[in-house]
Amino acid sequence: MTVDASVAGRYVVPRYRGRRLSIVQVASGVGVALLFVFIFGPLIWLMLWAFAGVWRYPHLLPQQWSLSWWRQVFDYPQLARSVALSFIFAPVVTALSAIVCLPAAYAFARFEVPGRRGLMIMLFSANAFPKIGLYITIAGLFYALHLMGTFFGVVLIQLLGTIVFMTWIPTAAFAAVPRALEEAARDVGAGRLRTFFSVTLPLAAPGILVAIVLAFLASLDEAQGTFLVGVPNYVTMPVQMYSLVSDYPPEAAAVFSVLLAVPSVVLMLLVRRHIMGGALARGFQI
Amino acid sequence: MVLRKRLGRLGQLLMAIPPVALIAVFIGFPIVVSVIYTLGHLGGPNSAVSAVAQHQVSADGHLVTWRAYTQVFGEHGFRAALVASVWVTVVAVAIVLVLSWAIALYAWQTRSRSGKALSSLAIVPMFIPVVIGSYAILQFWSYGGFVKTIADVLGMPGFPDLGYTLPLVVVAEVWVSVPFGVLVLASGLAGTPPSVFEAARDVGATPIRATWSVLVPMNLLPTIIVVCFTGISVLGSFTVPYLVGPTAPNLLGPEATETFESFNEPQQAEVMAMVLFGLAIVVAVPYIWATYKTNRHAAGRVS
Repeated sequence: MTVDASVAGRYVVPRYRGRRLSIVQVASGVGVALLFVFIFGPLIWLMLWAFAGVWRYPHLLPQQWSLSWWRQVFDYPQLARSVALSFIFAPVVTALSAIVCLPAAYAFARFEVPGRRGLMIMLFSANAFPKIGLYITIAGLFYALHLMGTFFGVVLIQLLGTIVFMTWIPTAAFAAVPRALEEAARDVGAGRLRTFFSVTLPLAAPGILVAIVLAFLASLDEAQGTFLVGVPNYVTMPVQMYSLVSDYPPEAAAVFSVLLAVPSVVLMLLVRRHIMGGALARGFQI
Repeated sequence: MVLRKRLGRLGQLLMAIPPVALIAVFIGFPIVVSVIYTLGHLGGPNSAVSAVAQHQVSADGHLVTWRAYTQVFGEHGFRAALVASVWVTVVAVAIVLVLSWAIALYAWQTRSRSGKALSSLAIVPMFIPVVIGSYAILQFWSYGGFVKTIADVLGMPGFPDLGYTLPLVVVAEVWVSVPFGVLVLASGLAGTPPSVFEAARDVGATPIRATWSVLVPMNLLPTIIVVCFTGISVLGSFTVPYLVGPTAPNLLGPEATETFESFNEPQQAEVMAMVLFGLAIVVAVPYIWATYKTNRHAAGRVS
């Protein structure tokens, strides 16, 4: 059999269940399987640990299943408190971030703000500065402003991490709304506010929703700054996780991880469609 | 009328100011203060930090002193961490780029349910808190984990234990960064008509050649975005190397944190932050260049 080398991907391999499979198909099948293991393997493995009673190397599954670590985690008052704290901070930070950034996003998208691109790049470069370097001097600033160890101090430090995408992604979302639609609404007599709330906002909503979810997750995920500013008064879930990882057996950390991941997974299912639709990616093409 | 227009402009500017002001006060100002601190100025806004710090270098009346820098660069541990940061970043970015191109391309080409499923699968890590992802990866790849167990079952007892090594840092950084790469490239490819690829194939280009010579140049901006943002995020990362990486040499993120928190040397930690920032700026240059260039093109086309 002679096969032209230039048509790689059309090499013919033996039939499989009556179908001819090309090398590319087989290779992509293997690739997909490996990717699945790479992405989900660690998560599934951690899930198994959360329900393991006895699990010794080299067994691929726990030898004994148990819920005892779940009981232990729920009985530990500090952990419950850190879960509660995380869910107080995240909505506050997200709401504040939206109030601060969304009007600016609209302004960047619709008005000729002088130095618009420069300002947006500045937001980005601020994000490129390594966090630890920032936190050292922010610590000095926070001491001077009496923000150390306060609720507002933690909110502020978490807020700073959300500004960039809370501005960029909604800017792209507002910019993508065709002006013609807004003008049409104005032509038939709608006022500025009416146009905004009935035309612009609903069309930009997916991008804004994505930004809000990412801000919520960023707050839920933030550990380094919260540790610096909040400890010992405000120990959130991820901060707790650091000590849990080093001080407790994997079973306890696994249970805690599963608990921590639940809200993220729920939020992901909520916005998956919009994120896949490009609402996030557009935000980076400023 | 003119006054009203001016007031309108003022209102528009006021809308844009809050996030910029917040960043200027709580990020821009601290960056300036840190730069001054690393150059030996311990007073003013730095006095709170410098009051309790160890091994500080003072400019002592001179305009600046570079001694903090020479001291940090003279340390073997720092140089090892710098080298580690650079190679881990380069390798991780290369893998992320290849992997996300492959996934985005597969999804774009097949346009089937399996392609969509694959790309939604690939974005899952974006929603898993980094602390958890890192911990899960550590358990999965290190001694007693799945990878080692499978290697044993397959008769490869010599398979390395990756726990607390730099290669595992690469693995974890890739895991964390692939979703962003896939999203940005998929979005770029979505705007590329399939006919251009087919045309290249029709005139005899191999799939790889057609991708390299047609699709990559057409999606240069998304590709640059992936490289720059992944590079910056890996360079400055803390959680991933802290949890899965070795004690030393680790990346500069945990190294700087340790210098500050364990050794109480904030000035030296700031010097390391400056080095990281310098590297991040170098990585960001293509992005800023490409953004300006495409925008000029786009503006030309529209008007």
